[in-house]
Amino acid sequence: MSDLDRAIAQLRACRLIPESQVRELCYKARELLIEEGNVVCVDAPVTICGDIHGQFHDLMELFRVGGDVPDTNYLFMGDFVDRGFYSLESFLLLLCLKVRYPDRITLIRGNHESRQITTVYGFYDECIRKYGSANVWRYCCEVFDYLALGALVLGASSGLEPTGPALETTSSTMSLDDSELETEVLNSRGEVTMSTYRPKQPRTTSPLLPSLSQAQPATSSSANPTSSSMPPMRSGWAGTGATSDSSGSYSTGTGAVLCVHGGLSPLIDSVDKIRLIDRKQEVPHEGAMCDLLWSDPDEIDGWGLSPRGAGFLFGGDIVKHFNYKNDLSLIARAHQLVMEGYKEMFDGGIVTVWSAPNYCYRCGNVASILELGEDASNGGTVSRSNGDYNRSNGGAAAAAAVVRSPGRRYRVFEAAAQDTRGMPAKKPVADYFLTQHPYNTHNTPPPTASHRKPMHFCLGPSLA
Amino acid sequence: MSASQIPNLNTLRRGGGRGRLRGRGGGHTGENDQDAQFRRGGSNPKDRVVQGTDNDASVSRLSAVNLGYLEDPFASALTPPGQETRRLPIINRGTYVRTTTIDHLLTHFFLPGAQTDTQTSATPSRKKQIISLGAGSDTRIFRLLTSHPSLHHHHHHHNNNLIYHELDFPTNTAAKVRAIRGSPLLQRALGITAADPKSVTISPAADALHTPHYHLHPIDLRRLAALATSASEVDLETILPGLDRSLPTVLVSECCLMYLESEEARRVVDFFTGVFSPKSSTVLQSQAQDGDTGLGGITEGAGNAEERGSSAPAPLGLILYEPIRPDDAFGRTMVANLATRGIQLQTLHRYASLAAQRERLREHGFATGQEAADVDFLWERWVPEAEKERVAGLEMLDEMEEWRLLARHYCVAWGWREGEDTRGKVFEGWRGLEGQRE
Repeated sequence: MSDLDRAIAQLRACRLIPESQVRELCYKARELLIEEGNVVCVDAPVTICGDIHGQFHDLMELFRVGGDVPDTNYLFMGDFVDRGFYSLESFLLLLCLKVRYPDRITLIRGNHESRQITTVYGFYDECIRKYGSANVWRYCCEVFDYLALGALVLGASSGLEPTGPALETTSSTMSLDDSELETEVLNSRGEVTMSTYRPKQPRTTSPLLPSLSQAQPATSSSANPTSSSMPPMRSGWAGTGATSDSSGSYSTGTGAVLCVHGGLSPLIDSVDKIRLIDRKQEVPHEGAMCDLLWSDPDEIDGWGLSPRGAGFLFGGDIVKHFNYKNDLSLIARAHQLVMEGYKEMFDGGIVTVWSAPNYCYRCGNVASILELGEDASNGGTVSRSNGDYNRSNGGAAAAAAVVRSPGRRYRVFEAAAQDTRGMPAKKPVADYFLTQHPYNTHNTPPPTASHRKPMHFCLGPSLA
Repeated sequence: MSASQIPNLNTLRRGGGRGRLRGRGGGHTGENDQDAQFRRGGSNPKDRVVQGTDNDASVSRLSAVNLGYLEDPFASALTPPGQETRRLPIINRGTYVRTTTIDHLLTHFFLPGAQTDTQTSATPSRKKQIISLGAGSDTRIFRLLTSHPSLHHHHHHHNNNLIYHELDFPTNTAAKVRAIRGSPLLQRALGITAADPKSVTISPAADALHTPHYHLHPIDLRRLAALATSASEVDLETILPGLDRSLPTVLVSECCLMYLESEEARRVVDFFTGVFSPKSSTVLQSQAQDGDTGLGGITEGAGNAEERGSSAPAPLGLILYEPIRPDDAFGRTMVANLATRGIQLQTLHRYASLAAQRERLREHGFATGQEAADVDFLWERWVPEAEKERVAGLEMLDEMEEWRLLARHYCVAWGWREGEDTRGKVFEGWRGLEGQRE
């Protein structure tokens, strides 16, 4: 067993590795990351994960639900540290896995992978507490500076292979021949709790076809009875599909999926512009790099000021235009707590994936990961040159009109039940009222009532 | 975010180091002192947990003050030494909204014309009273006396317009007496001077303190609950010396009543609504009614308005600050988390919504008005835009959804009854304050 495998085993048990080993690990990780572009290309199948925030036991739960590395190909969209009690164990484990299996795990930078933010939100304190000095914090921050800013997932399939019988479905009444499984939601026991279908798409389409068939709805629906039960937008597709059904040829390919921690920037109108950023630095207070890590989608038109104090808000029109211009079928991002674990917006043009269940041990939310399947229709080959997504400006308009979103499988999971998983009885203090205080973290005895330092603005002057 | 907002790493380092010591050192002397204090309080372990919550409030307040959210020169004098720590930005913002909202309500009680042009008089011409339940280490009295000098006897000896009462466990009041004794700053704010020995009286147990304007009462509120039915005739001087049952009064419960069993919490408020509806006034009232029905002229001829006013039910208001909405995912987690710490918010399920809080105020007889709003609403609607911008600029909030989630689970509720006072309405200033409709 190599040192690295030993370190992985130790970290999986939520035990830290010596400082000298951290230094070596961070050095190796940097060597690896420096070779990556600002936008890493990742082939489907891939499992996309959102914020982790030092919730180590929930990260273990994530691996249980999504499969282990290297069996599953993972893409983590940042915010590994801060807030939770085990930022070090979580981040160092992910980093070990990255060094051990560089092609099976991709890490991109979140707004918390920053010196400034980690000194406010807990990671710095945790390093001091657990290692007695700021050295490890410094090593980690140097790694942060080398993390990629985004990723492009290529070759994702438009339809999913059904997982199995559903608990309850909201699927349409289309026959399986005409439709493909577009989204599926599974609970942590692997049971399907929701699925949606959409009509299949012919391999060769002209952007004009949908509107042509919409102009003849009567013909379309008589030719394809199932289309009457579908939304108007899709009746056109169904008619189109029926027309070319004789060819028996369906495309399962999709546009690329851009993964980024926060969102878009008014300074970035193409994926290529992201590639031009000099990323090897602390996250700046403003500018394109800052925006990619801090911005949020919102129900507005255009751009808006972010209430967070960094980045921007961007509306559905911005997303549609950006996706169209860049041949993207979807933007996957993290950064925002969503109680249901994931949230699709703007007709599925963007999705928020949140992977920290019961965030801060007090929010009561579930988490999710997003699985994108592999498009096997081209024999698994993806048409692209390595490291650079192949787009043609001339064909962009035509292609964008038929870009399909990938089939999306969300695995929803709840916070790990630590007591039943053989973990030390160091249950993190209920963070609702007690947060960054260290009593229950590393090598400290369980607190007594008087030790516990609630941290909340509710608990005011006490009962008289 | 600017460079000036980069936190001072040394401060943070000290914070972490202390935490480690405190966590590991079971026999740390500081902890023993604290335990001893609790024992001296002579209350059960559950009470001790609740008493401990006061410390959190003072530490949170100091954090918000140090970062510029609040101006409060008294915060450090009332926070135990060595407890200084930086809270998370959402906690600081919550402390800010809670504090400024209650300040705002009290300002509009004292100075009905404050910040509005509808009233010509912005000077508190009448004596008014505040009773703070479970006040702990609260700094409000010191801030009120120094920010509204006209309330203060130093400036107008004849114009003693503010009487302020704080009620808390003896453990907590004794700590406050110690803090006042040790701080010339606090003494000055209270008008305590060495030259005038009558300016302050401290009980032999050093857990009660009385000045002409400030009374610190060591008392378990459950004692008052037991007296609820006889409140109108209870001898106040023996239990709450200095309390004037004839004055317009506001009761404040900032995270206090919620720790009581809900029937007890109800009776504590009943005690005060009873205290401010003196028996004699009831008699007088019925006489007045008799007069209306035949014996005319008794009220008019019953002496001067002052006497009449002093025995009528006094105008009374109640301000509550409490968690709400225990039944959604966040609320359920909150209840479960607190339970693991031995804290039960006993009234939470009974007053689970803004509507339930308003109904509670109505049932207590605050008939003139009942309003409630959650902290999210108060931040959005009560904090002026420029001030919002200033506060938002102090620290970067990393997670807005979490803030809204948290802020929607706390509320301020306020209700009032004008009584039968002939000298104008006391709570006119509260009429224009926007509550949340839901």
